[in-house]
Amino acid sequence: MSSIDIGLVVTGFLLLLVVLGMRVAFAAALSGLVGLIWIFWSKRGYDPDSFFWALTVATKTAGQIPHSKLASQALSLIPTFILIGYLAYHAGLTKALFEAAKRWMAWVPGGLAVSTVFATAGFAAVSGASIATSAVFARIAIPEMLAIGYDKRFAAGVVAAGGTLASLIPPSAILVIYAIIVEQDVGRLLLAGFLPGIFSAFVYAALIIGMALMIKGFGPPVRGFTWGQRFASLPPVLPILFVVVTIIFFVYNPFGGDAWGTPTEGGALGAFVVFVMALIKGMRWPQLKDALLESAKLSVMIFTIIWGVLIYVRFLGFADLPGAFSDWITSLTLPPMLILVCILLSYAVLGMFMDAIGMMLLTLPVVYPAVMALNGGEAVSAAESTFGMSGTMCAVWFGILVVKMAEFCLITPPIGLNCFVVAGVRDDLTVQDVFRGVTPFFLADAVTIALLVAFPAIVLWLPSQI
Amino acid sequence: VEWNVSLWGKRRAFTEHVEKLAELVDQKTNGDFTLNLSYGGLSKNRENLDGISIGAFEMAQFCAGYHRDKNPSITVLELPFLGVSTLEQERDVSMAVYEHPAVQEDLARWNATLLMPSPLPQYNIVGVGEAPRALADFEGLTVRATGGIGSAMEAVGAVPQSMSATEVRQAMDSGVIKAASFAPHAHMSFGTIENANWWTTNLNPGTVNCPVVVNTDALEALSDEHRDALMGSVDEALDHYIEFYNEKTMAAWGPALEERGIEKVTFSDEEIASFKDKVAGPASEAWIEEMSERGLPAQELYDLVNEKLGQSN
Amino acid sequence: MAGGARVLSDDSRLSRVDRALYALERQLALLSGLAIFSLMLLAVLSVGGRNIISQPLPGYVDWIEQAMPLIAFMGISFAQRDGGHIRMDMFISMLEGRALYAVELITTVALLVLMLLLVWGSWAHFARSFDFAAPLWSRDSTMDIALPIWPAKLLAPVAFFVLCLRLVLQVWAYGRAVVTGTATPVAVPLIVDAAAQAAMEAEHLSDAGSRGQRP
Ligand code: NA
Ligand code: NA
Repeated sequence: MSSIDIGLVVTGFLLLLVVLGMRVAFAAALSGLVGLIWIFWSKRGYDPDSFFWALTVATKTAGQIPHSKLASQALSLIPTFILIGYLAYHAGLTKALFEAAKRWMAWVPGGLAVSTVFATAGFAAVSGASIATSAVFARIAIPEMLAIGYDKRFAAGVVAAGGTLASLIPPSAILVIYAIIVEQDVGRLLLAGFLPGIFSAFVYAALIIGMALMIKGFGPPVRGFTWGQRFASLPPVLPILFVVVTIIFFVYNPFGGDAWGTPTEGGALGAFVVFVMALIKGMRWPQLKDALLESAKLSVMIFTIIWGVLIYVRFLGFADLPGAFSDWITSLTLPPMLILVCILLSYAVLGMFMDAIGMMLLTLPVVYPAVMALNGGEAVSAAESTFGMSGTMCAVWFGILVVKMAEFCLITPPIGLNCFVVAGVRDDLTVQDVFRGVTPFFLADAVTIALLVAFPAIVLWLPSQI
Repeated sequence: VEWNVSLWGKRRAFTEHVEKLAELVDQKTNGDFTLNLSYGGLSKNRENLDGISIGAFEMAQFCAGYHRDKNPSITVLELPFLGVSTLEQERDVSMAVYEHPAVQEDLARWNATLLMPSPLPQYNIVGVGEAPRALADFEGLTVRATGGIGSAMEAVGAVPQSMSATEVRQAMDSGVIKAASFAPHAHMSFGTIENANWWTTNLNPGTVNCPVVVNTDALEALSDEHRDALMGSVDEALDHYIEFYNEKTMAAWGPALEERGIEKVTFSDEEIASFKDKVAGPASEAWIEEMSERGLPAQELYDLVNEKLGQSN
Repeated sequence: MAGGARVLSDDSRLSRVDRALYALERQLALLSGLAIFSLMLLAVLSVGGRNIISQPLPGYVDWIEQAMPLIAFMGISFAQRDGGHIRMDMFISMLEGRALYAVELITTVALLVLMLLLVWGSWAHFARSFDFAAPLWSRDSTMDIALPIWPAKLLAPVAFFVLCLRLVLQVWAYGRAVVTGTATPVAVPLIVDAAAQAAMEAEHLSDAGSRGQRP
């Protein structure tokens, strides 16, 4: 058997384990380990005496990965950004945002759901992790929506989808991880995420308003807030601005002087500011302990997927599958735009079974160079390129597309982290309920992605200003 | 026979000798013995020695400074101000050190045999803002520099910062650091020159030493013919590497600086000598003391380096 | 999480061992939470040091690298106990009783085998970085300020070993459930639908010991 055949068989084994209900992280690690054993044993011609040698080398190779891959500064952003989400919840920011959004926007059809979307968008300016955003809004927004008669599945879906905005609107752990995998400027990518994030929020809102106009008995508008009440809701939201300004100063100093630190430090400093606010708001050890345990739990879940997937990726490396794939992609004679669309579609399919970061780690080392080559190389000028943008800008554009796809995979069944998290917070919801409620948002995301592909300016306008 | 070779990043000046070696071995054995190069697929760069020790692959490249404790003996080649000025010198002195029994014993702990160095030119500093005219101007300068070069910078009052190489560009553009120290090819690939104002031409505080090693068992298991094909190609691969670095990379370096209007800062001989005095002596004394405690013939290694450099000067 | 799995408990020895282990797992997870918190403080120190007293924290990146394994591994068994690692439960949610327990038993045994191998593999990784004869017992060090890495590498096999204990317990629990065919298996995470049903049946049987327990 050639190593590519081995790769395909082991991938089938991985799918079988996932279907049987094995935890995804461990299914990936186990298939990767089995694959490594197979590859090493095949090098010795399947000699029975060499089996133990193959087992030893494979196990030791796999055994390095958890420590060596996770002891990294880039990945340290994930737990920090998750912690920020929980601290902001204890600082009352989640509630304040939701209240303000409600008073200003809930008068439209489907008002409370629209308010939830814009509150999550506002929260996204502080939170860099989608799942933490969904987890805290599930506690605040769902009860209010249920109280005025929303379908509980749809209410859960709004929160699951709204959470994904946190990874486009800066700060964003996942954008930083993309930047590091492909070695591009972090600041430019963070800036590029801003407009598409806001744009996504408006598409979500339009979808909700449309549904509210067409479906009888959908969540009613909430009217009757006076202008006084509206303005009174703003001061409690101001701390968000303070955090945003702190983070901005870390990436780009608007006054032209030196910035204060790197994005990594900016995220951590933001968390510290929110921590102090939470202390002022009365957070004490029991609440902090709760926030720490919740953050630890979400972090270990994500990190386990990361090392599990990376054991599998290491096996693919030894099977030389990435090389074969990238040769194949570049040998295709299809129109480049069609290839790009196919890549995005395969992200949608792959994303059903994967978590966002796992998917990026698995695919980017192969797909990114292929896309850059399609556009005409890293150093190509806009005039000579296939997609009408320079190499640097193509990296930014493709990054936002990939991150949007990765966010999409957070809400698609059977494995959508945001939906799991929302169901986990609420006793009265199963994962299936949340998946059903989030379905309409697939349409909204499809529209958003299509528009970002058709009009790259939505992504590239802001970063091209600097 | 197929060997897996663990490299990282992508094909660049830094890996040309391995590419050439693969080509030569393939030619000499009519395809019977092939080197299968993998850029990052087989291991993380800092774990390449571990992979060699496990036997997961047969050949790998790594840098001594990634993990001093894994390879204390060859860190002698990373001491500041050894006085290496050409790639040929770097190659000769590295080879001499690699042949020392204590060094071979050190790497034998990883089941590794040293094959060849990846000679890099001296690091120099690219920076933004006002260019330093004298050593005194380094006072308070925030510079990304690690290991021996970091301590060298500290000795003249600069403030060394550690951050991952991929964050350097961002940190420099945003003003977190004012300067960064790399070899020219890395300055170009990490984009530190894009917005820079100056470059030091002759500070030459040192460099990193990045050997290519092979798994000792795998080497011994080769047929005589294959082993000769491999070992007999090393010199030619290194010649090719040095020619490539000098002709291609360094040829691109000057124009790259000029295109961006980067000022070349050259220090006077007296300045360099006083920098060297402040740094080189104390650093080598500390190194010799620490390595002697580990049971390495540190003084002998240090003398070997100087003797070798004396010959080639 | 992961669909709000819940774990039943009763007075059996199995359930008592489960709760004792859970207390340990919780402490380890809290340790991981504190490490996240310390990452935040570390950044404050680093930024403050650089901007206020022009004295950056030496080896900032090295310290982060040392803290990451605490965060990445120490809570792994805590999450496994509560069913916190995500999975696709579409297929198995169609099963019930012995068939369900049998499939869970198979995947749990497979996972136990994997983790035993990874305890070995990650221990070997630790062992390569550890040397009694060397200063600080270190044979591998961080890049900038040369901190010994072996303590951080040791965390992986330790956390994986605790996970193995948890998995042995779950194999035992699923095995017992396969044998007895009980509707209320203890010490294993149940998906919400099944858990709700089990709690209901438990009430029907007025089995005073069994009750749904929210972790
Ligand atoms: Na965000
Ligand atoms: Na999904």
